[in-house]
Amino acid sequence: MAIKDTIKPTRSELIGLKKKIKLSESGHKLLKMKRDGLIIELFDILNKAKNVRSEVEKDYEIAQQNLNIAKAIEGVVAVKSTAFALKDAPVITLESKNVMGVVVPRIKSTSVKKNIIERGYGIIGTSSRIDEAADAYENLVEKIIIAAEIETTMKKLLDDIEKTKRRVNALEFKVIPELSEAMDFIMLRLEEMEREETFRLKKIKS
Amino acid sequence: MCGLFKTPAYAYITARVRARKRKLIPKETYPKLLNMQLPEIIRFIEESEYKKDVDELSAKFKSIDLLEHALGRSLGASYRKLMDISRGEVNYLITEYMRRWDVWNIKTVIRGKYYGASEEEILNCVVSAGELHYPELELMAKKESIGDVIASLEHTPYYPVLTKYEGGMLNKIEDELDRLSYTRLLDAVGGSPGEKFFLKFIQTEIDIKNLKMLFRLKKAGVEREYVQNILITGGLELKESDLTRLSGLSFSELVHSLDGYSYWRSISDVVSDQMTTLMDVDTKLDAHLMNYASQISHYYPLSILPVLDYILSKKIEVDNLRVIARGKELKLADEIIRSHLVM
Repeated sequence: MAIKDTIKPTRSELIGLKKKIKLSESGHKLLKMKRDGLIIELFDILNKAKNVRSEVEKDYEIAQQNLNIAKAIEGVVAVKSTAFALKDAPVITLESKNVMGVVVPRIKSTSVKKNIIERGYGIIGTSSRIDEAADAYENLVEKIIIAAEIETTMKKLLDDIEKTKRRVNALEFKVIPELSEAMDFIMLRLEEMEREETFRLKKIKS
Repeated sequence: MCGLFKTPAYAYITARVRARKRKLIPKETYPKLLNMQLPEIIRFIEESEYKKDVDELSAKFKSIDLLEHALGRSLGASYRKLMDISRGEVNYLITEYMRRWDVWNIKTVIRGKYYGASEEEILNCVVSAGELHYPELELMAKKESIGDVIASLEHTPYYPVLTKYEGGMLNKIEDELDRLSYTRLLDAVGGSPGEKFFLKFIQTEIDIKNLKMLFRLKKAGVEREYVQNILITGGLELKESDLTRLSGLSFSELVHSLDGYSYWRSISDVVSDQMTTLMDVDTKLDAHLMNYASQISHYYPLSILPVLDYILSKKIEVDNLRVIARGKELKLADEIIRSHLVM
């Protein structure tokens, strides 16, 4: 349905439309700034994400290698028995922070990295292979928590950039042109009505 | 204590042990196994002396887990057989030496109870090679709590140590149990020529345990007092004064202060203050102990030494087979597998 069919060509409508156009233009400007700001933030986080992903992969390889050595040398039975000695799981707290209106998570962890004497198993009956497997897995879990924070932030930023981009485009190519077209139409109609009125008055006078 | 046994029946036990040792896999087989594919290794083990154990456990476990449990079961059965066929002083010494397996099993059951593991999970991790028989271990695993497990051990030498447990983490009680097994063993060894070498072997083992712990604890930056309290006294070269001195050093100082001990020759090529892994040190120290054991094993044919030689040889066989099979399954590099084989 054309805009001309739905709009009433009145002065109050024109004033309303002018206000809407002004608001849309300032909104468009703000959203463009937000989009640009988010893109800058995204690039910052992208570098961190690239590094953290490769670090996770590297740490995973080391952890798996150390665990495999421990399993082969000490035996799966020994590794399992030693693992029973620790039942405390790491505590993860989830907070949030605001990046240009986007709420992103901040993940904090405690009791992931443990000292050799805090792991629960005795020192005399175990070996460095067990220590190094545990140590490597603790490093990996810590890195995964960091990666989770960075990658979730990146995902949320990307979603928000996409959303903002769509809004900017909608304002720029749809909302503002349509409002302008409606405003032009009303102005045209009002001018025409004014001309008709003048013509009618002249005709009455003559 | 060993004074109680004036006529040790070594002739019989050493003859039995020699016959059993002949059934062990020769050293030359390990390089061949290393070149085999995993299915070939599995088949080799299934057709060897371990056939009976593999068959009996085949309904419960599969693949490499089956092999590992069969190897553990065979080890336990061999050690129990030694205790069954020996008498007097030699039986006493073997039983004391095998207490480490009792300690292992008690620790496993208590850890399982602490973690909340199921009875089956706990029993899959025990190796019935000591004085505590499998039915006793089954009963322990069935207990509701750690307190009940400790109460069930009331008439064993471990009870006084276990009563010190006040809840929480298990590391202190585990270390106390391990220390107890060494203290009892040191007290058990008598003064006959064969036993003197056996004592030296135990003392060397204690030194090696202490060295490994020093490396681990110092690398982790653990405080002097904790280190000093955990070390085992009664070693051959590392006397109490040495342990006190070494426990006060930093990791770097520790590395530079070991060259006066005979163990340094075995580890000098892998030790440096910049080292990132201690696995190589552990491997070298284990090899040092095994070399010493094989050196002394033929000194006195009618003594505890041939028995010790068999005990260690059987353990080496089981460990080597597990390292090869598990290493192949986990796709470890052949060099890593080879470096952990004792040949």
